[in-house]
Formats: sequence, structure tokens, C-alpha cells
Amino acid sequence: MGEIKVLTGNYAASEAAALCRPDLVAAYPITPQSSVAEKLAEFAATGRIDSNIVQVEGEHSAMSVVQGAAAAGGRVFTATAAQGLAFMYEPYFRMSTLRLPMVMAISTREMTSPETVWSGQQDAISVREAGWIQVYCDSNQEILDMVIQGYRIAEHPDVLIPVNVCYDGFYSSHLTEGVDVPTQKEIDEFLPAPSFDHAALDPKDPFSLDPMTPGPLLMKYRKDHLEAMTGAEDIIEEIDREFAEKFGRSYGGMIEEYRTEDADVVIITIAGMTGTGKDAVDIARNKGIRAGLIKLRFIRPFPAKKIRKALEGKKAFCVIDRSVSFGWSEGPNHTEVKAALGDATETYAHFSAIGGLGGADISLKDIHGTIERLEAVKDEPGEKEVMWYMEED
Amino acid sequence: MSYLDVLKNAEDMVSPGISACQGCGGELILRRVLQIAGPNTIVGVPPGCMAGAGVVGWNYQNGMKIPVHIPLLTNIASFLTGVSQMYERKGRLDVNVVAVAGDGGTADAGFQALSAAAERDEKMLYVCYDNEGYMNTGYQRSSTTSLGSRTSTTPIGDVINGKRQHQKYVPLILAMHECSYVATVSPSDMPDMIRKIEKGLEASKKGFAYIHAFSPCPTGWSYKEDMGIEVAGQAVRSNLFPLWERDEEGFRLKKNPSPISVREFVEGIGKFRTLTEKDKDALQELADRRYATVAALAGMAE
Repeated sequence: MGEIKVLTGNYAASEAAALCRPDLVAAYPITPQSSVAEKLAEFAATGRIDSNIVQVEGEHSAMSVVQGAAAAGGRVFTATAAQGLAFMYEPYFRMSTLRLPMVMAISTREMTSPETVWSGQQDAISVREAGWIQVYCDSNQEILDMVIQGYRIAEHPDVLIPVNVCYDGFYSSHLTEGVDVPTQKEIDEFLPAPSFDHAALDPKDPFSLDPMTPGPLLMKYRKDHLEAMTGAEDIIEEIDREFAEKFGRSYGGMIEEYRTEDADVVIITIAGMTGTGKDAVDIARNKGIRAGLIKLRFIRPFPAKKIRKALEGKKAFCVIDRSVSFGWSEGPNHTEVKAALGDATETYAHFSAIGGLGGADISLKDIHGTIERLEAVKDEPGEKEVMWYMEED
Repeated sequence: MSYLDVLKNAEDMVSPGISACQGCGGELILRRVLQIAGPNTIVGVPPGCMAGAGVVGWNYQNGMKIPVHIPLLTNIASFLTGVSQMYERKGRLDVNVVAVAGDGGTADAGFQALSAAAERDEKMLYVCYDNEGYMNTGYQRSSTTSLGSRTSTTPIGDVINGKRQHQKYVPLILAMHECSYVATVSPSDMPDMIRKIEKGLEASKKGFAYIHAFSPCPTGWSYKEDMGIEVAGQAVRSNLFPLWERDEEGFRLKKNPSPISVREFVEGIGKFRTLTEKDKDALQELADRRYATVAALAGMAE
């Protein structure tokens, strides 16, 4: 049995990382992530963890140092946000394409400009094509649990893909909740020591890691990576079940569904807005609207099959994004849900909603307004105008 | 042991069949460094001439007998920090962790990571083969390209005549990081070079060792392929490339017994073909100042 601690989202990430016994942590301070790195440095300073802490000069080096350590067989951790993630893009892409497993927490934040340090998911969303697995969390408990599960997923021999555990900057990173923190013994039973060695630099077994690779062979690497990403869906679900058995908490795997069974209209949420979304669904239900909610948890791999199934027989949906898709003039997850539905898209009344950028709130009123609009248009299939959660001018 | 015996008895860690240009200074430096480092070594070679010459492996073949990785142009010192710290964790400090990088990966794009690793005194040997430009991609300017040099991005024209700035003097900047060891070497002085590589490897068990090697490049600089050692020797004699080292005891400068003028050094090297008299004066002043600075640091000031 663990113990209930009052933790911010960032400290939940640090506690979880510490329990996973990383060999090496390299991180660089950036708002709103900094307290993740600070807490791990404190754990190392007080001897609570036996991990090398490398105080790097930027995120580019944070990802490069952990890459070197992983290429020497180590379990590694880092955390970042926004400009830091953008700065580390070069080694970030390489981590996944070297198929080196690790977990990186992203305390998501809007990208500059205009200058901002506040919440938004434009950072993590913008790198979703870089070959990492991405999961988005809506409670501090989920952050802790997913860092732990993240290592199991990433290090699974059929996966070998690094995992981003994403959560809303400030809303999750800085607000406290009660978090059930497992014991070290429980985690050691759940998460064995790392054993991946496909990319291990060692004079005892010399080889060239990543030689110049001709196109036809490179294509094979890409195809393998894509297949491992797709295959990860089942493994994610398996690990969710195994975690539930051991710790009594299940998150539903790729997506979570809330009151969707008999719903006509469905909102699709991601990360921290989900709690507000569930309240909005309850209020709508009390008013006689048959509303439900799907929480996107993993967006890489994208839960296409699960979404199709969850929306079967429904009349209308809205995907609420905390980021934008430049060029589509809608939220990126709306585009992806439509892609998942394919030809069936036109049988639904649907629209994209965008809110919460740069730390703006996504209120109960906002989401309730969305549900009422869905109810109003549910019998008129087709795409409706984008809904922006903006204050009136 | 004489350096000749050292080299005679040390196995070459690099494949004989790499595709460096004839007379390449970089290849010579790479082979010597890894001969001394030996088989119990992990080497990182970022994008550049040596990676382009195939030592990181290509076409299903390896270019080395030891584990090698081509990291990013920007991150060799950070990547090897991770490798080095993991090996120390495993109790395998006997494994040499070595970087062999060009001046682009060292002085320009890779400089931030290098500076940080030197400041943290990470345990590795970092060797820069400085051929004063991006030679692998077609002789573009770098921050170590010397004043007046013709490169493909500082061409000769009526308005602008080659590079207009002095080179950045990286080894002294590294020495200011207070890391474990810094030295300059030239293939024209092989006994000095071998000694410093040995010393650098030893220092890399305690902290960051940096060796800056003069790397003559016949293809980019336009001189005859068999003149590389002479060009390197003239650079040292001109005081543009003084040979010095800095360890825990301080700076030591190798005396230059027969100095020549910068004008003599640049003679016959194609990249300096259009140097103006003013450029030559500026380069001479730089050489004088550089030598005097290092001499003063070494306590050898007049």
C-alpha cells in the first residue's frame, strides 16, 4: 500500500520518475516545468534516488545527454515545455528514430508568439509526427501513473518507442491534488530494470550505431517504427489492465469514455479540460440532453478504431482542442478524429472547438454551450463552423 | 617509449578503405588519436569530413573496429556526456570516451554543448580537427576560417575579398573553462602530438580533455596533396598555431626556435591567393599577439 500525498502535477511526475529508478536525469529549467527538475535534483541531493543528475545548459543538450546514456543502456528521464521542446527538436526526433525508450514529461505550454508562458498544447501537439508515443493526462494521479506505465510501454521489446507524458501547464503542473503514491517495492515488482540493448555502444561488442543508411533500408526502419507504433495500442491496453490489477486504477487505455453508452451528442476532450467536460455532461444530462464524453488519452498512436467504435450510433460530436492546426483552421484533434471516421464523418453533425490557449480558461459555460449547440444541430449532419471559446470584444 | 614504437605497436582502429581526400589532415589525426586510444574506446564522430569519409559506417559496412556513432552536428559533447556517465555508473571508467569533431561541430553549431561539457568537466577526450571550414560540404566558411581565406561562402569578389573576420581561437576559450586538460597539436610535430593524446586520454578519466589539432586540407585550401605536413609545420612556425598545453600545473608553450613570417606561411596556399598587404599585416599582428598571449600565460613573457 502506498501513501496519499498532496502533490502538484510536476511533483507527481518527479515522484513517479524517482520510483522508476532512472540511471540519469538531465533537464533544463523552463516554466512551467522547472519544479520537476528541481525536485529530482533534491531527491538526488538527499540520497533518496541514486541517479546521475546532469545540469545541462539547454534542452537540446538535455535530450542529447539522455540519448547518450540510453545508448549505453541506461534508463533516463527528462521534462520540458514549449520553447524548450522546440529547442530539443533535433535530438528529440533522433531519440524516437533510434528507438531508444525513455519517458519525458511535458508540462504543456502555448508556443510564442505572442510572448506567453501559460498553458496550451501547441508545443506537444506540434511534435506529434516525430515518432514518440504521446499520452495526455487530466489528473495528477494520472500523471504519476502514466510516467510509471510509460516506462513499461517504452521499454516493451515490441515497442521500443519513447513516451511523452503530457499535462496542462499550470492547471495541472502547479495545482495540488491528493495522489496515491505506490511504494518502491510495488513499483519494482511492476517495472523491472531496463534490458534493451539494440543500440548499446560497447567496446565488448563494437558496431556502428546509425551508419549512413541507404534509402531502401531506411524505409524498412520507418515501416518497422510505424508498425511498432500501431502495435503499441494493444500493449498500452494490456499494461493499463495489469496496472489496474496491481494498483486498482484503470484509465481505459487509449481513450476514456464517460456516459457515452446511450449518448446522442459527444464532446471529445484532451487533458485537464476533461474534468470540466464531465461536469458539463452531467449538467446537460440533468436537462435531458443525452450527452457523453470521450477523453483522448493517447494521440500517438492515434486511437482511430476506438474512436470509430465509441461514436457508433451517435448523432453529433465536437472535438475541443487546446491548440490549433495552422492550415486547417480548426483544432488538430478534430482533423484527426475526422480522418479516423473517414467516409462516416458526413453522417455526423460535428464541429471543432478551440479554447484555453495561452492559459485562457475553458469554463463550464464554454463546454455547456458546446453541448447545447451539438444538441441543436444533431439532426443536421455535416461540418459546422469552428467554435472559439473567446470573450466577446 | 619513442612515439614511433608507440605507433608501430598500436593497432589502427579505422578501416583502411575510407574515402577521405588524398593528403587529408583530418584522417591522419583521427587514425593517430584512435591508435593511441585503442580498442577499449567508444568514439563519436559528428557530421563532417570524417563522417563523410565513411568512418561512421555506410552501405552496410562499418568504418571502425570500435563502437562508433555519428551524433548530431550540434551535440557530440552532450551525447558523450551521457555515454561517459553511464560507463562510470557501470564501474567501467577504463573505457575511453572520445569525440573526433571538425571545427563546425566544435566551434560553431556544436559550441554550446562543448562549452557546457567542458564547464561540467565531463570525463572524455574531445579532439577537434580544425581544417578551418565546412570542407565536407564544399569549403564553406566557419568561425575558425582565418582572415582573407577564400571559401565558397566567402568568395573572392571586387567588393568583398574572402573572409573579413579573424578566426575564433577556440583552444584558449576552452582553457578558460578550467577543464582538466587543453592542448594544441599539429601533425607536423608527431612526438608532441602523440604525447598530448596520451596525456589527454589520461586526463579524460578525471575530467574534460580538449585537443585542438591543426588539420591541413589540400582540397579546400588548394595546395598539393603531399604538402600537408609542411603546411602544418609552417603554420606552427608562423606562430599562427603555437603548440601549447594547459594542465593542473598551468600553461606550457613549446618554444618556436625558427619562426617565420605569416607572409612565408601563406605563400603557395590557394585559399590565401588574393590576400591584400593589409590582410597579411593583420594576420601577422594576430600571430604576434597570439604567441605573446600564450607565452605570457606560460610565464615565458619577454
